[in-house]
Amino acid sequence: MKALTWTGVNQLAVADVPEPQILNDHDVILRIRRTTTCGSDLHLLSGYIPFMRAGDVIGHEFMGEIVEAGKAVENRRVGDRVVVASFVSCGGCWYCRNELYSLCDNGNPNPGITEGLWGQSVGGCLGYSHAVGGFAGSHAEYMRVPFADVGTFVVPDGVSDTRALFASDAASTAFTGVDLSGVQAGDTVAVWGAGAVGQMAARISAIVGAEQVFVIDRLPERLEQARTHAGAETIDYTRTDVAAELKERTGGRGPDVCIEAVGMEAHSPGPQGVYDQVKQQLRLQTDRPTAVREAVLACRKGGSVFVLGVFAAMVDKFPLGAVMNKGLTLRGAQVHGPRYIPRLLEWMERGELVTEHLATHVLPLEEGPRGYELFKEKKDGCVRAVFTPHGT
Amino acid sequence: MASLLSRAADAGGALLGRLQSVRLPGVGTASVKDDPATAARRWRAVTVLCDPDRLADPPAPLAALGGRIETRVTRAPGDKGTELAARYRGSASDAEIGELRAALREAKQLVEVGEVLRVEPQPHGPRAETPAGKALDGAAAAAPKEGVL
Ligand SMILES: NC(=O)c1ccc[n+]([C@@H]2O[C@H](COP(=O)([O-])OP(=O)(O)OC[C@H]3O[C@@H](n4cnc5c(N)ncnc54)[C@H](O)[C@@H]3O)[C@@H](O)[C@H]2O)c1
Ligand SMILES: [Zn+2]
Ligand SMILES: [Zn+2]
Repeated sequence: MKALTWTGVNQLAVADVPEPQILNDHDVILRIRRTTTCGSDLHLLSGYIPFMRAGDVIGHEFMGEIVEAGKAVENRRVGDRVVVASFVSCGGCWYCRNELYSLCDNGNPNPGITEGLWGQSVGGCLGYSHAVGGFAGSHAEYMRVPFADVGTFVVPDGVSDTRALFASDAASTAFTGVDLSGVQAGDTVAVWGAGAVGQMAARISAIVGAEQVFVIDRLPERLEQARTHAGAETIDYTRTDVAAELKERTGGRGPDVCIEAVGMEAHSPGPQGVYDQVKQQLRLQTDRPTAVREAVLACRKGGSVFVLGVFAAMVDKFPLGAVMNKGLTLRGAQVHGPRYIPRLLEWMERGELVTEHLATHVLPLEEGPRGYELFKEKKDGCVRAVFTPHGT
Repeated sequence: MASLLSRAADAGGALLGRLQSVRLPGVGTASVKDDPATAARRWRAVTVLCDPDRLADPPAPLAALGGRIETRVTRAPGDKGTELAARYRGSASDAEIGELRAALREAKQLVEVGEVLRVEPQPHGPRAETPAGKALDGAAAAAPKEGVL
């Protein structure tokens, strides 16, 4: 079958690869209908997560149809149209039972790698390097999905493939941030990053009752989407001082909740940006935390800062004094998909949550390398490239 | 220039490792500061979501290590299940400790989900035989036995 593979730093190729097979009794094999690029893939492509092997099939945000089911799968059957959580969760460990699915103890067959880095390993993620399991990803005609009863969700008839697709990772990540940062009715929420994750965080904040939502980015077409589809106010960080702007627009308080959806390759225009890039290239810090710093400084006293953007290891010049003295709650998480996907699908069915506008470029799988090029360089207004391995 | 930068990067990486006790993947040890003999004698433990009775007999992967190890089963506080700990009776090599880590992880999975998650064989494109690729294959193959457990 055809699959999109990583072949080296910033290199992708469509290759002929063997078809996947059932390896565990809880597995299903999926015929992929839609699979999309995610901002997290960019960190992989550019080599910031150095656990990729040439030939690895990438992709972790997807949906499709079950074509084969292992003998221990109970609640799904061949023919089901499902959207799949990007993380691998067993359903039986303490973390899964407590709905902290991306922290699953049993979802990563290579726990040694991240234990060494973080003191504990987290769950596995599909199509996302050997550090989180080394599972083949979804940019392929077929894919094996482990623990199907836990990680797959039947898409309601009225919800289109493209709408459901983003429940897999972008919207469920956003919901993780909105929920665990404690957004409440009446809150003011600021979101850094107007990619799919940031836009979904803004929209979901509004759905759960936030009264005022800001989205911060520099790309006009994305800010326009945030205004149109999330009803957010927007700030272009290249044209203004974000913290000052937020202060002015929130009566001097600052946002109650700040959600960072940018990640470790944050762009920054000033001297601080150069400083961070040099330190990252010298490996004195591994990650660039521009947006997290800004969020910590902008947040209201006693507020909450949530890190949704992916960071790998170390950052420098982190304003810990502000966290402590302003009494902030600082949290982060990988996506707890199964906790949120069912509610997302309900909202999608009722039309409260729409995602189709994120799929700016729908392409055949053969155009995978070009799709990533458009997505990485944010060319031609690309918000997400979506691949259709079997045609439309 | 490029090689200067990359040498500086290596030096930076090494420095960071020393300064912040970062344990690099594949160098899994339970502790940074223990001397090797103390580290080898530590109990290695997983918490399994089940009642203590379920672990009265050691699960197969631990039983396979036979009399070389001793095990300890304790109810975990806060309804978190049961702590299953093991260590070698005498001194142990790094390879033996690796086996024990893998056995504990497998034991936990068998009890909690009934099977051990596999990844191979699975689809992939051509893999050139590069030194970096080899190193990563080695790290991935060793990963079930590595870590800070
Ligand atoms: N926690 C999780 O489980 C999870 C899941 C999915 C994605 N992510 C992460 O979320 C982040 C966003 O993902 P995405 O798919 O939306 O990516 P994306 O690349 O499409 O969007 C990132 C956006 O951030 C903007 N940006 C860059 N620097 C900025 C700055 N200093 N201030 C404000 N905005 C800035 C970019 O212009 C871009 O629009 C990534 O880091 C990704 O890895 C995390
Ligand atoms: Zn993702
Ligand atoms: Zn689990």
